[in-house]
This record gives sequence, C-alpha cells and structure tokens, in this order.
Amino acid sequence: MTKNRNLLRAAVLLSYIAITLFLVYGVSALYSYLNTGADRSKMLHTELKKIDQYLPELSWAPLRNKGRQMDEQTLSEIENDYLDAWYVRHIAYKTNLKAGIDDYYTESARKNIFNIIKQNKLQKTTVDGTTLEHHVTLDFFSEDGQLVVLTDKNVLEYKRVYRNNTFVLETYETATYKIILLLEDGFWRIRHLIRTVVSKKDTFNTRKIDSTLTIKGINYYPQKTPWDMFGAQFNDAVIDRDFKIIKTAGLNTIRVFIPYEDFGKANVNARKLKKLAQVLDIAQTNKLKVMVTLFDFYGDYSVLNWTLNQKHLIEIVTRFKDHPALLAWDLKNEPDLDFDSRGKISVTSWLKRMCIVAKSIDKKHPITIGWSNAQSAITLHNEVDFISFHYYKNLSEFTTTLEELQAETVLKQVVLTEFGLSSYKGFWNLYSGSETKQADYYKNMQLQLKEKNISFMSWTLYDFNKIPKEVVGKLPWRRNAQEHFGFIDKNGKKKPSFTYISTD
Amino acid sequence: MLKKQTYLYLFLLICVSSISHAQNPTEKSGKIQLISSKTNFEAGSKIILRFSSQNKKPPVLYCATNYGSTLISPTIAPKILSYEIPMHISNKSGTINWSLTTNDTSISGVLNIAPKTTVYSMETYLGPPSIEAGGRDFTMLVVIPTDTLDNPLKPQTPVLVKHQFLAHEISTEIKTDQLIAFKNIYSPNTSGRMILTSESFGKNSKEYDVNIVPAIPTNFTIRSQRNHHYADGNQITTFITSIIRDSLGNIVSDGTYVDFFIHNKKQAVLKTSGTTVMGIATAKMIHPDQEAHWTVKAYVEGVSESGIITINYTQVITDFDILFSKDNRTITVGPLTSFMNQMIPDGLQVVLTIRKGNTKIGVITKTSKDGFVKFNLKKGLYKKDTYSFQIRAAGITKNIHAKKL
Repeated sequence: MTKNRNLLRAAVLLSYIAITLFLVYGVSALYSYLNTGADRSKMLHTELKKIDQYLPELSWAPLRNKGRQMDEQTLSEIENDYLDAWYVRHIAYKTNLKAGIDDYYTESARKNIFNIIKQNKLQKTTVDGTTLEHHVTLDFFSEDGQLVVLTDKNVLEYKRVYRNNTFVLETYETATYKIILLLEDGFWRIRHLIRTVVSKKDTFNTRKIDSTLTIKGINYYPQKTPWDMFGAQFNDAVIDRDFKIIKTAGLNTIRVFIPYEDFGKANVNARKLKKLAQVLDIAQTNKLKVMVTLFDFYGDYSVLNWTLNQKHLIEIVTRFKDHPALLAWDLKNEPDLDFDSRGKISVTSWLKRMCIVAKSIDKKHPITIGWSNAQSAITLHNEVDFISFHYYKNLSEFTTTLEELQAETVLKQVVLTEFGLSSYKGFWNLYSGSETKQADYYKNMQLQLKEKNISFMSWTLYDFNKIPKEVVGKLPWRRNAQEHFGFIDKNGKKKPSFTYISTD
Repeated sequence: MLKKQTYLYLFLLICVSSISHAQNPTEKSGKIQLISSKTNFEAGSKIILRFSSQNKKPPVLYCATNYGSTLISPTIAPKILSYEIPMHISNKSGTINWSLTTNDTSISGVLNIAPKTTVYSMETYLGPPSIEAGGRDFTMLVVIPTDTLDNPLKPQTPVLVKHQFLAHEISTEIKTDQLIAFKNIYSPNTSGRMILTSESFGKNSKEYDVNIVPAIPTNFTIRSQRNHHYADGNQITTFITSIIRDSLGNIVSDGTYVDFFIHNKKQAVLKTSGTTVMGIATAKMIHPDQEAHWTVKAYVEGVSESGIITINYTQVITDFDILFSKDNRTITVGPLTSFMNQMIPDGLQVVLTIRKGNTKIGVITKTSKDGFVKFNLKKGLYKKDTYSFQIRAAGITKNIHAKKL
C-alpha cells in the first residue's frame, strides 16, 4: 500500500516537474518568437540580390529627351524596373497568377493585366512568352524626377500559346510601345502602355562551308579530361600534342564542345573564353579547322530562359566570329534526344531562335545542329546552313540512310559529324567487341564515305578512363562501351583502327 | 511565301475598303474569309470579327494587345464565325493584332483602337512643389488628358495651362506629344503662392499650388540692445538683425539661420545664433563679468553677412576684501559689490589657486552667493604647511603669500 502511494507520489512529482519544464520552455519559445521582429533591411527592399533571370538585348537611343536631364543612375534604375515589369508579366501569363504585378504596375495599369489573367484562367489559356530585343528611347523626364515617357521600338516578342495544356500556336511579333512610368514607393511603375504593331522579318542567306574543304575530322577531348576540356586541368601543351597527332594522321578539322553552365551561362566566364581562344589558336598553328558545339549539357529550353541563352550565345559568337580557325557553329549536340522530355516544339523553337541570333552576329560562318540520327536531321533543315547528323548504326545501312537524307534536303550539304565503334571487349557485351572489329568498321566506313564524297568527323581520338555519369548514365554496359571509342587506347598505343582514321 | 504575299495584299485591301467604309466582302482566301472590314475603332466600341467558314471545327482567334495576349472562341451561326473582342481589350487604345490559323490557312490582321475624343480626367503631375523667386527657377506641370476608359488622348490634343499669381492670371495653350503635355512655369519676382490648373475640351483639372519661396538672403545690418553697459556677468545683451531680404526685396523665409560671432580683446570667439521671424533674427548673449570690448558680426552661413558693430562693457567690481579665519582654513571673499554698490547678483565666478612654493597644488572654482564666496581648505587635502594663494574675480587678481595652515 505504502509502496503504491510512494509510486503515486513519485509520478505526481515527476509529472509536475515535466509540466513545469514544458511550460517554461513554451513561454520562453513564445517570448523569443515575439522578440524577433521584421528584418528592417528586408522591409526596405535594400537587400534584394540581383540574379540574372531576364536579360533581353536592350539598347538605349542617345539621350535627347525633353524635360530634365537624365543621369546614369536613374536610367539604370528605370531599365531594371522596366525589364522586371516585362518579366513579372511573362510569369503572370504563364501561370495565370498575379504575383509581382503590383510592384511594377500602378493601380490603374494592373487592372488591365488582371482582366487578361482572369479571362485566360477562365478559358485555361496560358501564354509562355518572352521579349528578346528592346530598343528604348527616352522621350521625356519630368523636372521633379517622378515621371518618364519611353518609346520602346521594335520589341521582339515571342509567344507560345497553350489552351488546356495543348499547344495552340507560337508567334513572333515586333511591336512598338509607348510607356509612361511613375516613380512610386521606390519602383518605376508602368502607368500607361500603348502598343503599335510593325512587322519585321528576319531573312538570312544560307552560307556554305568553304567548298574547297572536305571535312575530314574528329571529335576531340583530351584523354585525361573528357567532357571537361576547359576545366582546371586544361593544358595547352597536351592539346598541341594531340592536334599534331590529328594533323599528321591526315585530318583537317576537330569538333569541340562548350558546356553552357561551365562557361558561366548568361555571364560568360572570361577565363573559359581565354582557354577556348587558346584552343582555336593552337588549331590555327596546326592548320586545323574547328567546329564549335555550343550549349553542351544544357537541357532546359524554357521560353523565360531564352534571353539568358541568347546572351551566352552572343558573347561567345561575338568573341570568335573572326577567328581564322573557326569552321562553323554547331548550335547544340543531339537536341533531338530532348524531344520526349521537353517537347519537340520547345526544343525546335529554341533552336530556331538561337539560329537567328547566331546568324545575326556572325554573318560569315555556317550554322548547323548536330542531330543524333539521320531521321531527325530533317528538322529545321531550312534554318541551318548545312545538315549534320550522327550515325552509330549498321554499316550496311549507312549509304541508304545518307541517300534518303540527301534526297530530302537537296539544296544543303550533309556532314556526318559523329560516327564510330567501341572496341570494348568484356562481360557487358559478352566479349563481342574487339579492336580488329573496330578497324574493320572504320575501313568499311571510309570506303563508303569516300564513295559518297561526304565530310565526316569520327568519334573519337582517345579511349577514356572515366566518363562523367551525365554523359551516358551509370549503366556499366554503356559506360564501358563509351570508354573504348578511341583510335588510341588508354596507354597511348595506336589501335589498328588508327590506319583508317582518314580516307587517305 | 507566295501565300503570305497574298495575305499581305488582302490585308491592304481590307484597309483600303475600311477607309472608304465600304462593306465589301474580301477576296477569297482558302476556306476562311474575313467578312468584317472595319479596322479602325474608337475605344469602348464593340468589336466583332466575322468570318465565313465551312470549317466544322472552328479555330480559336489569337489576339495580342497592349498588356497581353489571349485566345478568343467564336460564336457560330451557320457558315459564319463571330469573334467578339472582350470589352477589356477593346476599351484600351492601341493596336491589336489577331490571327486565325487552321490546318490549311492562316489569316491575320490588325485593329487600331483610337482613344475617345472627350476628356474625362486630367491626370496632372506638378513638381517641384516650391520654387525660388526671381524667374530662374521653375516648376513643371505635366498633364495626361485621359478619356473615360483611362486612355491618353491622341497627340496634339490642346491643353490650356492656367496660373494665377497676385493680380496676374495667365493661360497658355500647349499640345500633347508623346502622350503628355507639359509646361515649365517660371517663378515671378515676388514670393507667395501660385495657383495652377489645366483644361482640355472644357474639362478642368483640380487646383494645384506652388510655393514661391524668397531667393537667397542679401547682406544685412545688426544692432544690439542691453539694459546697461556694465560687465556684471548677469544681464543679457540681445543682437538683432535688420529685416533680411533677397535681392528682389522679398523677406527671407522664416527660420533662416543666422550665426553671430563675437570677438573680444583676447581674441576669444563667442558664438550665438538665432532664426528669422519676418526676416528678423535675434540672438542673446550674457554680459561679461569684466571690462570687455566686443566686435560682433553675423552670417547666414555661406550666403550673406552683416556689417561689424562694437560694444564696450564697463568694469563694475573694482576691489574686494579677503578674510581668513583663525586657522586660515576658511577664506571669505567679499563683499563683491556692483555699480551702485549693491551686492553683485549671484553667480559671479571666483577662482582660488593654491600653491606650495612654486608648484600649483589646487584650483577651486566657486560662484558668489549674496555677494560672498567661501572657500574651505580641508585638512585631509591641505596638510599643515605654508601655502600661497591667488584669488581671481571679475578680472582682478590678488595674491596672498605664505599663509600657514
């Protein structure tokens, strides 16, 4: 009995302590919560970190505005807020949500946007759009610095319209806008926006590859750093040595890859550009031509990123368009592999745009897209200057495949930019491959290529030790095969196939 | 390519026919044909695009406007597709482009919507809100005449800007350009308040006002005012400026800050200051406690200054007694008498300096009370020994040597 009573006492005592502890903890937590106020820096919009999310081409006409003289600082604030106003509107129409609109449109102006959102939401319409070019003139700046009038001439807009998540249409429009912006709460907000349409059409002539040159080329990565050519281990001596091997073997062209993110996305990394310049210079001294493949490892074709992509493209193309070693621009390696995951329209409209941008900057060099197979190579054949495709299938069907493609794209030159066979012999392919088989493959291919007089680029110079998983995935049969595509093995020894690296 | 050209001609034809207001059916273009031909509208009008069509499955109309794009579904009558542009779109002036795409044809066009011709509101921005008199400074009135649907009116809309100042009422006509009309209004020569308003097609804006503030002060004079000329350390001398005006004779704004700098014989600088009320600034300074000769000059800093005035103060205390207690530890200074032999008002500073040999070992500062000052030398601080003392008051110094404590 007493034992029970003691137990009861102990339980009461312990629960009392537990409740007290809990209460003390609760009160202190509440107290500390109430003492954490709003962060002032957040309240005042002072700590907004600027990230690159929307960078269309924008140019200001020389300042000859009426009213008050404009200063650089205010002009850049107006530019930022004006572009942000476009950006939040693109997002609003893509999602049919109102987020951010209040910051960049005055009360009377935002009603117009809300009306459209309301209608589009009701009818399940979404518009995935962006603007790619702006040409802004400052017309007027009021004396008290609170009101500006702008004319944005020939704004290049791209829109892709969906209804019920089904693609309806895509359109490019060129429009001129008159805009009144007011300075409210530290934001330049759009008060009036009036549109007048003008049409414009981009026309580009097809450029041909230097007709005296039949490309006999190879896809190139240094042996130690496959898929990371411009990384920390970049070594110009190694590249020079490899280029000499390539040149001596009777080849005249290499194909290199520019990873999009590694090169700094919208703000291209100057050090990477310098390395690419070195590669081109070394190629030049070795009398090799270079086909530069852009946007490697980039797989997001979303419309809202176009401005960032085109900025990346413009920076690289502008820098190298006059380099004597440059042969052509390959916009993207095997984009058809993204058709399923990203949608064919997303990918092709992105490619079309990048093609137009590249052509508008480099007026000389031809543009192509490195399709993964001959069937996809029909896509956008009107837009590219020459057709390029990759072939890893049966030897016997090559000539037929090629003839079919040529028949469909009569006016354009066709280039085989990747082909090859792995010499991997091991468990994962039941010991079926061999270096002899690889040599036979190349011997046969070279005969067919010579007969059809087709420019070619084989895959690749070296066997690699380590393949990044982003390239072929983790599956060992694919990874092991990919390691043995070279003409030179891991020990630097030339494989039998090396004899057939070129036609002569 | 050829087809596109056909559409272009077609579109031109539509435009031409719309100008002549003829309701001609357009040329044949595939299966779908545009029937309605009007392309110019006034904001707020009902816009319906009609097409003749054999199509079983009607296409949606794409339409891009000032603020965004949308899709419009048709209403179907036999063989006629009618697309009604939503009011929130047709209410806004600007250009709409539309297109209708089916599998085999694509037809597109442009609609121009003009703002209404009547003014509903005068959106007015005025700034800066205060300007300096004298005709160099100006304020800017920006007017955006808008119609009932919040569209800025067409270019070259006349706007009457009216402003009143004192007896003048001036109105000027300006015209809108780039959506706005603006006018710079220069300041008159006198300070005061200017009233502004604007008018367009009989519609008047609100009343706006601008403060015309006086321009910068010009040089001025100062004078002083005091009860008596004695240096009693008690009374107050007041310095007063003349009415400070700008170059156009306007009294400077109230609150203009004036600094007074006083130099005495020892080249020490005393400073006092005041702000103007009705153009006059006053500042005060306590009398010195000994004979003094002051030169005073005032400044509106960085802008204007006064001439120099001089003031003299006469010594009031000519002598005082010093009384030591028995043990010499209590020193009584006084009586300190003023100019009529009255006890000096409390607060006169008396300084006792204590020396042992040639080394200063203490300074005690006290102020007078009822004409006397008492110093107590504590035993703990000043041990038994021989000290010399110096007592200073109202510029008079007295020395007492070799007193034994």
